[in-house]
Amino acid sequence: MERYDYLVVGASHAGLEAVRAIRAHDATGSIAMLNRDPVLPYSPTVLPYVVSGRSKEDRVALRDHPWFESLQTAYLERTQVSAVDAAKAVVRCADGKEIGYGKLLLATGAKPIIPPVSGLDGVPYHVLRTLDDALALRNAMGTAKHAVVLGAGLVGMHAAENLAKGKCQVTVVEMRDQVLPGYFDAEAAAMISAAFTGNGVEMLTKHRVTSVAKQGQQCVVKLENGEQRIADLLLVATGVTPEVDFLKGALDIERGIIVDEFMRTRVANVWAAGDVVQTRSFFGDGTPAGGILPDAVEQGRTAGMDMAGDPGVTPYPGGIPLNTYNFFGNRALSVGRDLPANAGTEWEVLRRNSAASASEPARYLKIVLRDNCLQGIFGVNVLFDPGIMWELILRRTNLSELRQQLLDHPQDTARAVMSGIWR
Amino acid sequence: MSAINTIAFKPALCDGCGECMTACSTVKSVNGSAAQSRIQIIADPLKGSWELALCRQCGDPRCVADCPAAALSKEANGGLISWDAEKCVNCLLCTAGCVYAGIAFSADEGRVVKCDQCGGDPQCVKACPTQALTYLTSASIYNRWGDLEDLFVPGLGGCQGCNTEIVMRHTLRRVGSNTVLATPPGCIPGMGSVGYNGMAGTKVPVFHPLLTNTASMLTGIRRQFKRKGRNVTAMALAGDGGAGDVGFQSLSGAAERGEEILFVCVDNEGYMNTGAQRSGSTPYGAWTATTPLGTEAHGKVQDSKNMPLLMMWHRCAYVATASTAFMEDLYEKLEKALAASDHGFAYLHIYSPCTSGWRFPSGNNIEVARKAVETNFAILWEYQPDQGLRLSRPIDKPLPVVEYLKLLGKFKHLDAAQIQHIENHVAEQTKLFSELAGIGKGVERLAAAAPLSAGHERSSVSERLTR
Amino acid sequence: MSAVLKPKNKVLVCDGNEAAAWGVVLSRPDMVAGYPITPQSSLVEYLAQFIADGVLDAEMVEAEGEHSVLSVLQGAALAGGRTYTASCGQGLAFMFEPYFRTPNLRLPIVMSIVTRDGISPQCVWGGQQDAMTVREVGWIQMFCETVQEVLDTTVMAYKIAENHSVMLPVNVNHDGNYLSNGIVRIELPDQDEVDQYLGDKDVNWHVALDPQRPMAVDPLTGGSAGTGPALFTRYRQGQCEGMQNSLGVIVEAHKEWAQRFGRSFAPLIEEYRLEDADYAIITIGSMAGAGKDVVDAARNRGERVGLIKIKTMRPFPIDAMAAALNKVRAVGVVDRSVCFGWNSGPVFQETLAAMYYARERIPCLSMIGGLAGADLTEVHFERAVRETAKLLAGPCPRQPIWLNAQD
Ligand SMILES: Cc1cc2nc3c(=O)[nH]c(=O)nc-3n(C[C@H](O)[C@H](O)[C@H](O)COP(=O)(O)OP(=O)(O)OC[C@H]3O[C@@H](n4cnc5c(N)ncnc54)[C@H](O)[C@@H]3O)c2cc1C
Repeated sequence: MERYDYLVVGASHAGLEAVRAIRAHDATGSIAMLNRDPVLPYSPTVLPYVVSGRSKEDRVALRDHPWFESLQTAYLERTQVSAVDAAKAVVRCADGKEIGYGKLLLATGAKPIIPPVSGLDGVPYHVLRTLDDALALRNAMGTAKHAVVLGAGLVGMHAAENLAKGKCQVTVVEMRDQVLPGYFDAEAAAMISAAFTGNGVEMLTKHRVTSVAKQGQQCVVKLENGEQRIADLLLVATGVTPEVDFLKGALDIERGIIVDEFMRTRVANVWAAGDVVQTRSFFGDGTPAGGILPDAVEQGRTAGMDMAGDPGVTPYPGGIPLNTYNFFGNRALSVGRDLPANAGTEWEVLRRNSAASASEPARYLKIVLRDNCLQGIFGVNVLFDPGIMWELILRRTNLSELRQQLLDHPQDTARAVMSGIWR
Repeated sequence: MSAINTIAFKPALCDGCGECMTACSTVKSVNGSAAQSRIQIIADPLKGSWELALCRQCGDPRCVADCPAAALSKEANGGLISWDAEKCVNCLLCTAGCVYAGIAFSADEGRVVKCDQCGGDPQCVKACPTQALTYLTSASIYNRWGDLEDLFVPGLGGCQGCNTEIVMRHTLRRVGSNTVLATPPGCIPGMGSVGYNGMAGTKVPVFHPLLTNTASMLTGIRRQFKRKGRNVTAMALAGDGGAGDVGFQSLSGAAERGEEILFVCVDNEGYMNTGAQRSGSTPYGAWTATTPLGTEAHGKVQDSKNMPLLMMWHRCAYVATASTAFMEDLYEKLEKALAASDHGFAYLHIYSPCTSGWRFPSGNNIEVARKAVETNFAILWEYQPDQGLRLSRPIDKPLPVVEYLKLLGKFKHLDAAQIQHIENHVAEQTKLFSELAGIGKGVERLAAAAPLSAGHERSSVSERLTR
Repeated sequence: MSAVLKPKNKVLVCDGNEAAAWGVVLSRPDMVAGYPITPQSSLVEYLAQFIADGVLDAEMVEAEGEHSVLSVLQGAALAGGRTYTASCGQGLAFMFEPYFRTPNLRLPIVMSIVTRDGISPQCVWGGQQDAMTVREVGWIQMFCETVQEVLDTTVMAYKIAENHSVMLPVNVNHDGNYLSNGIVRIELPDQDEVDQYLGDKDVNWHVALDPQRPMAVDPLTGGSAGTGPALFTRYRQGQCEGMQNSLGVIVEAHKEWAQRFGRSFAPLIEEYRLEDADYAIITIGSMAGAGKDVVDAARNRGERVGLIKIKTMRPFPIDAMAAALNKVRAVGVVDRSVCFGWNSGPVFQETLAAMYYARERIPCLSMIGGLAGADLTEVHFERAVRETAKLLAGPCPRQPIWLNAQD
């Protein structure tokens, strides 16, 4: 039986970073990375750009074979894990092969949620998580005249923009009262939504789809309010759920695999990282956590270092939401959390905005502080360095005397503070 | 894994003039606006200090890990983080990974921009008038020599923070295994490099010569191998006492004969292995076990003799001084010395602060070495017969000598007159070396005008006289 | 001495220094190092000239002093080279630091000592004080009687030194002035024959400084830690064994020499007309010639006197000396140097020590002559014979007789 000291299941951001971290500490242990897909690793995040044609599907590989060779790591593509037997320390693959491990990392990511909409299983619809999904969607876009997108998350919004630019009549249906819920505050969301509307996209927030039905080559999408839309193309983008079916209860799973701050599962010698885990929030509240690329990287690094016994490992601090979002030539950035509903006096919100003019786009900036420490920052067409803001939140840096400067010049002020801290 | 050259920033020297940003945007940005400079100098609004935003070309770059489009990669060769315009999808996730603002969106260019070090010739550094920015290329040492095998055993028994051990390990790993190594009695074999009780301390053939005959034994070794058609490096790692005092005769003889030897003198300014006694290399005023302090005595009463200069007057194939605080320079000189030892005598004099004998905390080792150089107490130079003497770094703006003296316990007792004496001596040496370097330039001009004939012509005296 | 002159042998008229130089040429060393000192200087000059003329293919190192001369050769030997040098007197004194170490490194270096007296008073003349002073350091020491023996012994020295059971340096000593400058006719052995006699060089099989065989030469030993002093003690023991082994090797080397070249020399101790002798004089080096003439004359007068000559001084051939002493009832020792603490000569002292292993303790007289180039002529040896003869009847004086005190 094949056996590796380190076995990494899943070949994306979390898994790749874990391999790098393992090899950085353990020069000799054997490593293998498994991917169910028949290609080199790619990122789900790049798929909207494959759909739009910005990225060529043959140029999206995150790492090449020489990279794996230089890290003495076996890259086993077309190898889908179908079960984990922790008692025997083996994984079973779809083709029946067993692979033994010393230490196992599950980094299998997530898969689209398919909402319980009646009739959905009877119509052709698209999702976007894999390269195959992207190619199918890109194909369908070429001929679609009418499209309906279920869900105004990043996946849905990206697709809607692509479709709109392809001269397609698009309707976005979102259950909640704003677009990009959980990613952006209501004001930024409104600006984003307005840009879509301005570009001819129909934005239906606070709307629910009750059923879908086939109608010739098309489908009819019925809404709760009785209206309906006809679609050549239906995209389901109502969120993701961890890719854990193959575990069949072998691990403790709630909203994802349960891990501690070193990404250890409750089973010996098994770690998990990335979209597949249930990520604790840095803020310790209900702020959504995980499901984003930088978190997958952080968790992958933490897991890899811990697996290799690297003494430099530090506990994973918990997830902080972070988004960089481009739409119709605008840039929206968000880091951290918004003001909670029941905020006390220790909370403070700084805000500025300016309307669009002939030469200038609309700008918006909101800074949320608690006890003079940064909690969140949201901007549209106002530049700052999200990486630095993330670090300032993590470090709970006191910014009391810099509040005004931060609002006026968020980029320079945060850079100066960070540069001073490094020294 | 390769290391990367660094643009280093000393905030204390920065006056915020912005020349670096102008220089960068001139060569890099589409419209010359300083806002697009890849280096940004920012005023700290509270402290009034100048701060830096610049790509650090990290070893484990998060921008690369965070890029979903494979547009960023760390170059295997040289270690720069490069950006591929064709692959970039402008998602800005890289900027979420960076805490140095090393990669950021440029509104003018509509894409992320980052420093590429101008292909090894960073314009910002050139433009900086205060030396707040410097281009540290020492990483190239690591890239070139990082994988070379350390040919000494681990766990040599040197004192904590021993500088000499640094010198030993660095020099031998570069010189390599086709070497016979002589380590005359002193700290170098004393810490176990030859070995104990029948076990070796080095992976190359190694021996204790006498304190007095290092260069002579190496003469025999080198010549015997050469006679047999083998090019074996004959190398000495010797202390200053063995080289310059009791061993000087054999050293001088071998140098005069032009023996093909790589002689590294590790100068810790005294007999440190035997308990810190004075040598000819001990500086004026220094406490040693044989120049003690008392009612009638206040340390050494003579200046040190300048060994490397004496070696220069032997017209060796190569002579240089070096310091572990300037490793890049040291490696460059080692390289040249090694090459020179193939056809003549090469003498490399390395200043080696001694934590025990000079009485300073072991963590200060490199700082002491650096201050010695920055105050002109130890001047770095090199000599080649056809090029004369060249200074390795400017000596016209030294730090005050006391900046060096105050670091060392062996100078703690100095009174004003003694300090004055040392200052005068350093000034005198500085002047001397400036002059010697001036002569060197003359030689260079001369050589350029009429290149010295190479090779061994065998024309008779009369032939030459009639030419 | 036999006079079988093989047709291909060359005949030379030369002094002892040139003879030594020819011995070196025939031995094909890789490296020669030298530094001038009277009365050795012409020896290294000859070698430099031989190398310049292509007669000898060797590296020549004109070092800046005797200390370096021997150090250079140590390096060359550790790198596998056959090596040679010559020195004497103050040069040997200055060389002492590496000299002292050479046998301890078991390096088979050959070095001529063109013996010279030690200063002060200042003098540049012959005398064996230099060689005798360093006799305890571990070199094999052989003293030659004639110019021919100088040449032949120089070659034999390599055979002895490089014998695997020996591996020790050899001093081939010849008297300053008498042998170094006295010109006689000698025969030059055939090179091919010498090549066969010496065989292949195998100098550093046991200890080497060679990247192809990396080893640490001389790591620190002894002390209370690690192996303790035992390693050092075993090492010294081995060195002493090598020294003792050399006695047999020296005998064999001389025997083979005689077979190949038709010239034989007593390898350790020469017994001259000792068979029916009542007493004998003991000599060392070139003085034996005059001594033998005087013994012959005395024999002609009917006196039963013989002569014992020491060739090998280190290792001291105790058994051979004891056997020679067994043949006589009294001996007089003529030394060419002084043993200060014994108020006598060193050969006298060695004779007394060897006598412990003889059948009985016989009267033994110390005579000292030939210091600082002083002549030891027949007159002096006649006195030596006379004084020794007195021991058969009278008391044995405790004071040495200074043979040149009135010259
Ligand atoms: C369209 C889209 C846009 C996105 N945009 C953004 C964005 O703008 N910003 C952001 O921060 N995040 C974004 N994300 C989310 C981001 O891509 C994920 O958070 C990130 O990819 C998670 O990485 P991961 O390594 O945990 O898992 P994934 O990237 O999901 O990778 C899982 C890997 O596991 C493999 N795998 C799964 N099951 C098995 C099995 N049984 N056996 C073997 N291999 C298996 C898969 O083939 C894949 O290689 C986006 C996601 C999508 C789908």
